[in-house]
Amino acid sequence: MSEYLLEIRNVSKLFSGLVAIDNLSMKVKKGQIYGIIGPNGAGKTTLFNCITGIYTPEIGQILWKGRDIKGTSPYKIAGLGILRTFQTIRLFSEMSVAENIMSGRHIKSKQRWYNGIIPTPAYFKDEKHQWTKVGELMEFFNLSSYATTPAGDLSYGIQRRIEMARALAAEPELLILDEPAAGLNENETIELTETIRKIQAMGVTIMMIEHDMEMVMSLSEYITVINFGAKISEGVPSFVQTDPKVVEAYIGSDEEDEDA
Amino acid sequence: MDIFLQQMVNGLTIGSLYALVALGYTMVYGVMRLINFAHGDLVAFSAFVGLSVYGSLFSEGTTSLLAVVSVFLLSALVVAFVGVLLERLAYRPLRTAPRLSAVVSALGAGLVIQNSVMLIWGPNMKIFPTDFFPSTLWSVGGIVITFTQVMILSFSSVLMVGLYFFINQTKIGTAIRAVAIDQDAAKLMGINVNRIVMIIFIIGSALGAVAGLFIGAYYRGITFDMGWMYGLNAFVAAIMGGIGNIPGAMLGGLLLGLFNAMITGYISTQWAETFTFVLLIVILVFRPTGILGEKVAEKV
Amino acid sequence: MMNKTSLIALLLLVFAGFYPLFVDSAWLAVGTTFLVFACVAFSQDIILGRAGVFHMGHAMFFGLGAYTTAILNVQFGWAILATWIPSVLIPMACAFALVAPIIHLRGDYLLVATIGFNIIFIQVLENDVFGLTGGPNGLFGIDVVRVFGYDFSSQIHMYYMAFILLGITLFIMRSLDRSKFGRAMFYIHKDDIAAQSMGISLRYYKLYAFILGAGIAGAAGSMFSVQYSAVSPEAFNVTQSIMFFTIVLVGGSASLPGVLIGTFVMFVLPEMFREFETARYLVFGVAMILTMILRPRGIWPVKFGNIPSFLKKEAK
Repeated sequence: MSEYLLEIRNVSKLFSGLVAIDNLSMKVKKGQIYGIIGPNGAGKTTLFNCITGIYTPEIGQILWKGRDIKGTSPYKIAGLGILRTFQTIRLFSEMSVAENIMSGRHIKSKQRWYNGIIPTPAYFKDEKHQWTKVGELMEFFNLSSYATTPAGDLSYGIQRRIEMARALAAEPELLILDEPAAGLNENETIELTETIRKIQAMGVTIMMIEHDMEMVMSLSEYITVINFGAKISEGVPSFVQTDPKVVEAYIGSDEEDEDA
Repeated sequence: MDIFLQQMVNGLTIGSLYALVALGYTMVYGVMRLINFAHGDLVAFSAFVGLSVYGSLFSEGTTSLLAVVSVFLLSALVVAFVGVLLERLAYRPLRTAPRLSAVVSALGAGLVIQNSVMLIWGPNMKIFPTDFFPSTLWSVGGIVITFTQVMILSFSSVLMVGLYFFINQTKIGTAIRAVAIDQDAAKLMGINVNRIVMIIFIIGSALGAVAGLFIGAYYRGITFDMGWMYGLNAFVAAIMGGIGNIPGAMLGGLLLGLFNAMITGYISTQWAETFTFVLLIVILVFRPTGILGEKVAEKV
Repeated sequence: MMNKTSLIALLLLVFAGFYPLFVDSAWLAVGTTFLVFACVAFSQDIILGRAGVFHMGHAMFFGLGAYTTAILNVQFGWAILATWIPSVLIPMACAFALVAPIIHLRGDYLLVATIGFNIIFIQVLENDVFGLTGGPNGLFGIDVVRVFGYDFSSQIHMYYMAFILLGITLFIMRSLDRSKFGRAMFYIHKDDIAAQSMGISLRYYKLYAFILGAGIAGAAGSMFSVQYSAVSPEAFNVTQSIMFFTIVLVGGSASLPGVLIGTFVMFVLPEMFREFETARYLVFGVAMILTMILRPRGIWPVKFGNIPSFLKKEAK
């Protein structure tokens, strides 16, 4: 059995002739925190969308535990143990925080089709179990006091926590985070870093797109750098930080902001 | 072969009418993502307006270019005005509301227009004067074509070609296309979106008005509730061609007209509607966005 | 200690329970039909209000249930009670067969397809297919429910049967909302990409909504045909579908009180203003526009946050 949970092999994605991802390869070890960095528009989110089935790459393979999952429908990806957050935060804003997190428990629920019409003893047990799990997650992320608040009414930082709680609720093996620190202030970013470490300690493998260099360098065990859809560098943080190709990619393009 | 060609002529005629009405739907949808369910009722309204204008301005039996032109112009003006009013009162307040709320408002507006027509002109069928257009016929190799049909075909073609150039070659046309793609970006470019929407309703309603008058002249009998079914067919035509797409609406209209004529001519009138919708569903299964429609990708 | 909503609900329940005792037969029939239409509206709400699918052909499922009972009883001599199960299953089977191939279509395209199915259904009825459907005049002489020789034939019987049917419908709605299936429909409605990334299959849950909605509408249809002892195509046409569609949106999508209010406004109010025959629908149209402008989310919009109390205790 390979020690690599996720393998991207020579993946290319084209959009009507535009090359969004160009012959990309990488391997993510189980239990790792893996960072993906690169200038804006480099194709990082496109890569995540390929992994989670929203796009299908024209070339290459995406191997999950040795099996090619390229082109699998997005809803099946979650069932495989891969969960994600979004760059733009996609919460169910009219619904309460608890109900949002409950959506993560959907694939863990054992309710049968007739429970949509009539409750059974097994249903009551399952409901209680799921809501209890939601309660535990809200505790972990310090969201308990917002349980009934509509998610859309809360601040950006709190919404990011809700999104992570929701993804974690599905008990993922691989958690994919798309710019989790975007829009957070310094304190919130420190909190986020600790939270990610705690999640890793639970046995979850993490892949992360981030622009906050401090955070990425301190958290990641291994990094791939992408520009114009292709890999321009990879390695441990200390290597990548000083790699001239990486420096050129960032200085050569628009100036990066402090906090993305 | 004779029946086929005859039905071709009939089909293109009806198709041109569908196309004119479909354009109204597609323009509004393209910009506002709204199905203007009241449009069909506006078309019916215009037939009645035209009838009254003709009746009050000209004596019975007048067939002259002046009569026809003035009826068309005046009716188009009245209907365009009502169209603008419709947008202002029933749709603009719901610009930021959930999409389906605007649909309900459109349905309500349709009811208002339809019932106003009934209250003003009564619930009975009204007959268009026989001499509105000259009743000349031509026989070309066994196929009959009437003056009215020639009028419809030629005038609709002129309007459609004119609209196509307007949308693609003029500054306002470009502004319309910009607003259809991205309202906010258009605003940032200095385009007055409210004005563009008003223009779209004027054009769409005027085209619908022309169609309504032709419908009256062609079918002769008009009822206050004929707009609903006619409008639905035209909307189906717009969808078949690809909703929001102007050439698509023209194509869809002509296609539907031809298809309808063929079915009515060769099979039966009793199942005409069924065939229309089966055609629609088949098209949608193979081309989910219509024949000329484009898939709009959502950025994730 | 009851909150305001529960108190209103209880009062309404009492009112509805004793309603037949103090109205005349015309208003009793209106009341019965109100209950039946409310069932259909709720079933439409599952598809439109919860799953967010643009569906304007629901009268077809209502009609399938009604005609199933009518045809089995009038043409084949089945007892009414025996027609109940087919009148629920046949609309469900049709929902599956018709909708599965088009469920992936974008909103407005799906809307027109559902209207199309409804229109085709009406044409089938009017053209007296296989001599079964009775043409434009429909079928009459439908029997009544008969148990051990006792006839449930009076209007009061009809009312309470419809009452029970609505009760069952409300029970199902409640079970749905508190189950993963009902929640999945909401998630799909609010953000289908996020829903999919949580493992929710769009196709499965939208179809589930359609099939469940069709089944309930079918049961209501069966009741409707027995109430009037007759069925005819015009009771199940696109105009009726539009009414059910509007009920959900005007009353409040996915809102139990909302749909009841919507049914009252769209069906009972016009009955109350029957004398103003001609101007009725005009005023109605204006009312629809104004309601949407003033209350775009419906008269009584849905409230979320229905979570177990042990989680609420921690909340502010």
